[in-house]
Amino acid sequence: MEKPSYNTDIVRGFVNWSIIWGLVAVLVGVIVSLQMVNPDLNFPPYLTFGRLRPIHTNAGIYGWGVGFIFATFFYMAQRLCKTPIWSPKLAKFQLWFFNATIIASAVTLLMGFTTSKEYHEMEWPIDLMIIVLWVMFAINIIMTIIKRREEQMYISLWYMMAAIIGIAVLFVVNSAAVPAALFKSYSAYAGTNDANVHWWFGHNAVAMALTAPPLAMFYYFLPKSTGVPIYSHRLSIISFWSLIFMYLWTGAHHLLWTPVPDWVQTLAMAFSVMLIAPSWGSVINGYLSMNGQWHQMRDNYLVKFLILGLTFYGLQTLQGPMQSIRTFSAFIHYTDWVPGHIHMGTMGWVSMIGFACIYYLVPRIYGNEIFSIPLANLHFWLILIGQLIWSISMWVAGVLQAGMWNAMNPDGSLTYTFMETMVEMYPYWWARAIGGLIYLIGVLIFIYNLYMTVQKGKKSSSTLTEAEGRA
Amino acid sequence: MDLASVFYLGVTFGLFAILVGIVLRTYSKKRKETGEAPKYKMLDDD
Repeated sequence: MEKPSYNTDIVRGFVNWSIIWGLVAVLVGVIVSLQMVNPDLNFPPYLTFGRLRPIHTNAGIYGWGVGFIFATFFYMAQRLCKTPIWSPKLAKFQLWFFNATIIASAVTLLMGFTTSKEYHEMEWPIDLMIIVLWVMFAINIIMTIIKRREEQMYISLWYMMAAIIGIAVLFVVNSAAVPAALFKSYSAYAGTNDANVHWWFGHNAVAMALTAPPLAMFYYFLPKSTGVPIYSHRLSIISFWSLIFMYLWTGAHHLLWTPVPDWVQTLAMAFSVMLIAPSWGSVINGYLSMNGQWHQMRDNYLVKFLILGLTFYGLQTLQGPMQSIRTFSAFIHYTDWVPGHIHMGTMGWVSMIGFACIYYLVPRIYGNEIFSIPLANLHFWLILIGQLIWSISMWVAGVLQAGMWNAMNPDGSLTYTFMETMVEMYPYWWARAIGGLIYLIGVLIFIYNLYMTVQKGKKSSSTLTEAEGRA
Repeated sequence: MDLASVFYLGVTFGLFAILVGIVLRTYSKKRKETGEAPKYKMLDDD
């Protein structure tokens, strides 16, 4: 079959912009962590923790995460379907509309316009922009899949389609609101229904944006990096369908011990525990794919990122179900344990996979060999150490916090005041800020390495063809 | 049990049946080769 002329310009665009938004996310994350230990670093009205925190989360999820989802999906879809992207013009427009949406989100959040729904803070005009953006992307990828010249669909394509359809459904349903002004709206749902719909969205956004796409990337880029196929394609298919079947029922585990009906909570708890099976189906598949190839953990920096990322996915999908059990949730919910859990997923699993993908892509889309492998290794160790300090300090802090909140005197009164529990958190919050700072240094090294690859990297004969073959 | 509950129960069992069907189909002996074929195509040059 004649090799089609793939479009790499659009991949370049999304790679570059996702890195910029990723840097913003980590930088703002470090700033808000310092605001926690030193309240004098809050500068009202715009630069306060309350306004900067959603910028950190949204820049991370939608700027960095969705940015590299766009980049990798455009790269993978063309190659898995053996056909160029359906509409390069639509993809190019999507790139600029993506940046306009991120900037509009950041500006409105800084100005204090918020729905107050976590991970869905943007007001209705921005929601409309996000929906238009996603529809453009969905049409382009789905049309590319329809026009494919490859009969069988590799597992990555299944995860990609699930993410595209899943995010569309979740976002539209949770966006339902009655506008009261240009940047003010009221949710279409009331009371516990609102909370239930919101966490159905919130948890499944994790599934469809931060689990399915990284799995699509992992299944694509692991064999590309190691040079050996995955252990079992059939196991990956079973894991996929089980994951899709189970994930959508789990959102209410964020609402244990609330007025949401008990049976809804129990259902969410049961499905969360069942979710271990499909998650570990992928983890085991990944580990078994490394049979006879474990030496590549020493020799191949891409494999380090991918396998450590997968390991954090495995840990995340054991810790998450554990947290969804009522008794455990009663102890750790609302404590600092929870951000420790989330950041193992975002800084460990999702970002490690993202870094690996970008390290793989940049030499191929620019036609230059990577500037420095030692710098890539240094980046790996810095973000690993930074993330571990971040998460472990928060888990310890969370257990201490929960213990102090629950401590009672013989007469039934609380042993500690809330202020006393706050004061105890300071050393751990400092540790978190230091962990974030180490992670930020790692990200800066990553960006420097890529910049030097593009500017001064040695021309690669094996990748030159592809970079020059862009449409 | 009212009609709505019976309906939801039916949908739940229906979904389970579909999942079981997917597992059986994927792991049927006659589909072993075709089921594993896509993974080898990943070794083709990008």
